[in-house]
Amino acid sequence: MTPEMLVLGTSALLFATGTGGVLLRRNPIAMLMSVEVMLNAGNLLLVLAARVRGAVDAQAAALIVLVLAAAEAVVGLGLALALFRNRERADADEPREVRG
Amino acid sequence: MLPITIGCLVALVSAVWLVLARRPVHGAVGLLGHSLALAGLYLLLGAELVAMGQVLIYSGAIVVLFLFVVALMPAGGAEDAPDIGRIGTAAVGGGAILLALAFAVGAVTPTASDATAGGVVDVARSLFGSLIVPFELTAPLLLVAIVGAVAIWRRQEQA
Repeated sequence: MTPEMLVLGTSALLFATGTGGVLLRRNPIAMLMSVEVMLNAGNLLLVLAARVRGAVDAQAAALIVLVLAAAEAVVGLGLALALFRNRERADADEPREVRG
Repeated sequence: MLPITIGCLVALVSAVWLVLARRPVHGAVGLLGHSLALAGLYLLLGAELVAMGQVLIYSGAIVVLFLFVVALMPAGGAEDAPDIGRIGTAAVGGGAILLALAFAVGAVTPTASDATAGGVVDVARSLFGSLIVPFELTAPLLLVAIVGAVAIWRRQEQA
């Protein structure tokens, strides 16, 4: 088994783990963390592709995905905090309406 | 080979720990270990700049942001144990994704190329050359994210 194959399999397993986490957890913070795991799995694949293909463009794309993940975390956590700060428990199934 | 195996194992174990941790603080610690393991993997794969960005942005900024929000959430964000239906949904969903990805992975046999591009200079040339449009678009993206987060918070304060 080559190291490249190992990293490729790790990336696939990480993405599946993140998907399972989003579906399993009901806490919005834990769901966002699972999304971060999925983004990281994609990034790992991009960096691996940069090495396998010798194409440095993929590394630059991985950097842009990093920035995207940061922006996603900021907005997601802001929404979660605004929705759940005054509730007794953080449960993504609980809110029935969102006042706009 | 051995360092890459260790990095992959740490990344996987900490990701599973993150998903299964009942308390969000433990999950944030898992995210920290996960991102550091991935930074190590990036270094081993010859992507020094991405590894540095991973440590600065993930291990630094994002994990601290998660910890702040955990501190502000009611009851530290603790939650009930997932019921059987939720566990089943997660198992089916994750399993289906894994199966689809396994087919895709099984169809390729990656081998490292001889071309050793990937220094900081090469990445910069790509960022300011062929990827200039997405790179410049990250600036308004960050601005919109910051303004959006503040706007959400302000509206909630007034209510």
